Amino acid sequence: MTISGPALLFLVLGLGLVGWLTGRARARAFATSQGRQALHSLPSYHGWYVALWAIVPPLVFLAVWTALSPGLVTEAVLSTPAAQGLPADGFSRSAILGEARSIALGQLDAGFNPQAQAFVAPYREAMAHYSMLGAVAALLLLFAGWAFGYTRLKANFRARTRVERVVMALLLIASLIAILTTIGIVLSLVFESARFFGMVSPIAFLTGTNWNPSSGNVDPDLFGAIPLFWGTILIGAIIAMLVAIPLGLMSAIYLTQYAHSNVRAWMKPILEILAGVPTVVYGYFAALTVAPALRDFAVMIGIPQASSESAMAAGIVMGVMIIPFVSSMADDSINAVPQSMRDGSLAMGSTKSETIKQVILPAALPGVVGGVLLAVSRAIGETMIVVMAAGLSANMTANPFASVTTVTAQIVKLLTGDQEFDSAKTLAAFALGLVLFIVTLLLNIVALRVVKKYREAYE
Amino acid sequence: MNNEPASDRFVDPTPTDWNSAEMQARIRKRYASERRFKFLGLTAVVASAAFLAFLLLVMLGNGIGGFSQTRIALPIDFETAPIGLDPDLIRSGSGEAALAGADFRGLVDYAATEAYGPGADAWFSGGAWEIVRARIAADPDILLGKATFDLPAASDIDVANKGDGGAVSERAVADLERRGVISKSFNSAFLTGGDATDPALAGIWGALKGSLLTMAVTLALAFPIGVLASLYLEEYAPQNRWTDIIEVSINNLAAVPSIIFGLLALAVFINFFGMPTSSPLVGGLTLALMTMPVIVIAGRNAIKSVPPSIRDAALGVGASRVQVVFHHVLPLALPGILTGTIIGMARALGETAPLLLIGMRAFIADPPAGLSDAATVLPMQIFLWSDEVDKGFVEKTSAAIIVLLVVLLTMNALAVYFRNRFEKRW
Repeated sequence: MTISGPALLFLVLGLGLVGWLTGRARARAFATSQGRQALHSLPSYHGWYVALWAIVPPLVFLAVWTALSPGLVTEAVLSTPAAQGLPADGFSRSAILGEARSIALGQLDAGFNPQAQAFVAPYREAMAHYSMLGAVAALLLLFAGWAFGYTRLKANFRARTRVERVVMALLLIASLIAILTTIGIVLSLVFESARFFGMVSPIAFLTGTNWNPSSGNVDPDLFGAIPLFWGTILIGAIIAMLVAIPLGLMSAIYLTQYAHSNVRAWMKPILEILAGVPTVVYGYFAALTVAPALRDFAVMIGIPQASSESAMAAGIVMGVMIIPFVSSMADDSINAVPQSMRDGSLAMGSTKSETIKQVILPAALPGVVGGVLLAVSRAIGETMIVVMAAGLSANMTANPFASVTTVTAQIVKLLTGDQEFDSAKTLAAFALGLVLFIVTLLLNIVALRVVKKYREAYE
Repeated sequence: MNNEPASDRFVDPTPTDWNSAEMQARIRKRYASERRFKFLGLTAVVASAAFLAFLLLVMLGNGIGGFSQTRIALPIDFETAPIGLDPDLIRSGSGEAALAGADFRGLVDYAATEAYGPGADAWFSGGAWEIVRARIAADPDILLGKATFDLPAASDIDVANKGDGGAVSERAVADLERRGVISKSFNSAFLTGGDATDPALAGIWGALKGSLLTMAVTLALAFPIGVLASLYLEEYAPQNRWTDIIEVSINNLAAVPSIIFGLLALAVFINFFGMPTSSPLVGGLTLALMTMPVIVIAGRNAIKSVPPSIRDAALGVGASRVQVVFHHVLPLALPGILTGTIIGMARALGETAPLLLIGMRAFIADPPAGLSDAATVLPMQIFLWSDEVDKGFVEKTSAAIIVLLVVLLTMNALAVYFRNRFEKRW
């Protein structure tokens, strides 16, 4: 008999509830027999204390056990007589075992490898054995924990203090997950990139102009990432910003300075919808509608190399996506300009637009610049639009109607084919990711600095 | 040294004559520039809104056809048709086997050629025979006579019937219309079916279910962790370097490009921990890491807006610091936290890039049954269909986009409702 993971989990939690009830009942019994004042903590805290002792040890044990038991199962299977006939070479050996394991788990109906069938029964047996062992140990721990917690309860037992200490630990652990994620990102990018730079020198990678990676080949001349950086800059930092900055800034100016409050109440959320549309929708729109129209236009005015996947299409659509972002950053910094400066300018007889151009915008400029930097960081990290609309050919061209490729599009291309994970090709994706991570991080830090410095000046 | 008073140098003692022709022209020019500037601002707003409207209209115009399906009436005369089944056989114990062995595809092809001439078998969808089979299984007595089946048309006929097909298909549609056997109906298979290589059969339920499972994992992880972390940072965290590091990393995570999270998931969850690729479990974990900072930032703002008097009053009547937070601050901040959570979840639901890297782009016909099954999600289904060359997939892609946008708009409307209905202004 085996107990499935979720069933065991529910069993543990259910028994934890029983522990809670018994703890609370015992505390109540103290209260009635010795008078209520004698109880240090509310009965429910006694319940929590017992429940935590009952639940936490088995859960920790189960977490460790799930990590360990596959190894133990494999060892047990390898010690059966059937394992004598296994091929010595590690790869086909693990293929057979993996298949047998999948069949035993019911994920596969039949193996491709005839040898696998022989191991299904030992696998089932070993799995049943170890899952039973784990379940029994977990339940024993549960009862031991419960008994420990239950026997410690006394009328003046400081149950609340102990339970609250656990709560505080839980809160701290939850906060640390953010740090863990950051460390995880940095470590995984740095480690895989280090392996890549062991094959291809960082200088060739960062300064080469020919990008044509292939799995087997680690010729550094094929891993020059400059065309990708150029494509990213052309789309994210030039074309998209040429669309987003004027439209976003002017929208913010109009909505904060001119529009009637009713108009603003309607138009702001409508513009916000632009930011809420999924990027895959923008990508599809760019590829289906914008790119063909732009190509026809380019052919009409006689631009060479006009392609149906163009930097222009991706950049324009990305710019539209960024408009609400620029607009709300500009909105914030315009609103932060003190009213007295505005009034002073108007009192001198300047028109509204003169006030905006000569007083408000210069005063709000650091905030706007910070917002634009954040927008650039978002644009260069954007993936789906460029994957779908900008193409995958690494061209070094200033022609916005030609097909270019970006860092993010290449990461996707390198990692979505069928290839082994350790090739230079897949590791190159992590090196590109590292560059992207560093650049966006720097942009964000600089942008936040600029914004913060400016805010301090007016508060 | 120049002792002359400054005012004598700069101010012209004669007052400005605002009515002079020169000054009037100047004022007119300034006002014109004012109007131009205002007009430019209005243009920017209108242009942005127009782009949104254009995008939505294009998707609606392309996608509305995806919800309807062209059907062709097909009469089958079972007296002559080569099927070799009879009602008694089907009702008998070996009925299942008899149905499985019968050539329904051949039957449909035969009947189509009989009814509409040679080549007409290509007019019907590759899955049309399943409908015939289902109806025969349900009511074997129709095998005794003639029956008419309303079967889904093949993709090119479907496209032609909606007005965008090739010449051959157009002719076929005209022929069918003359006979009055072609009709359009609501395509329920689109909402209940899985992915298929034939656009006439492809549906989004598999992707939708994958999205639901993924979102469930994301919510189950990101919400508690986000709420607990924001409570810690806002209520208990001491002012020290560790707290600063936590804050900086949360703010940075909120700005990290989503594809980086995909790289993290690939390196850590899949290659290091060996979790199943393309599963909702890994997808949900990845999106949870992305959503958590959003929830923390929204949660901290909500907690910050609870006035200190509430905390002081609770402390004053003897509550412990944990009780103050969990009994008073958290319930009051919850609407704000929920608003932030819904917005974060909506963003996660539309996310594609990180999921591409963990292998959720595979063709998956069956809806996933559990968290570790291979699955795809709705935005990924849109991406996969957008790559298909078959013209029938254009309307399917746009129809899937409509479904996705409707879900997202509903979530955002819900967030706005929560904010207006439950959020207290102190």
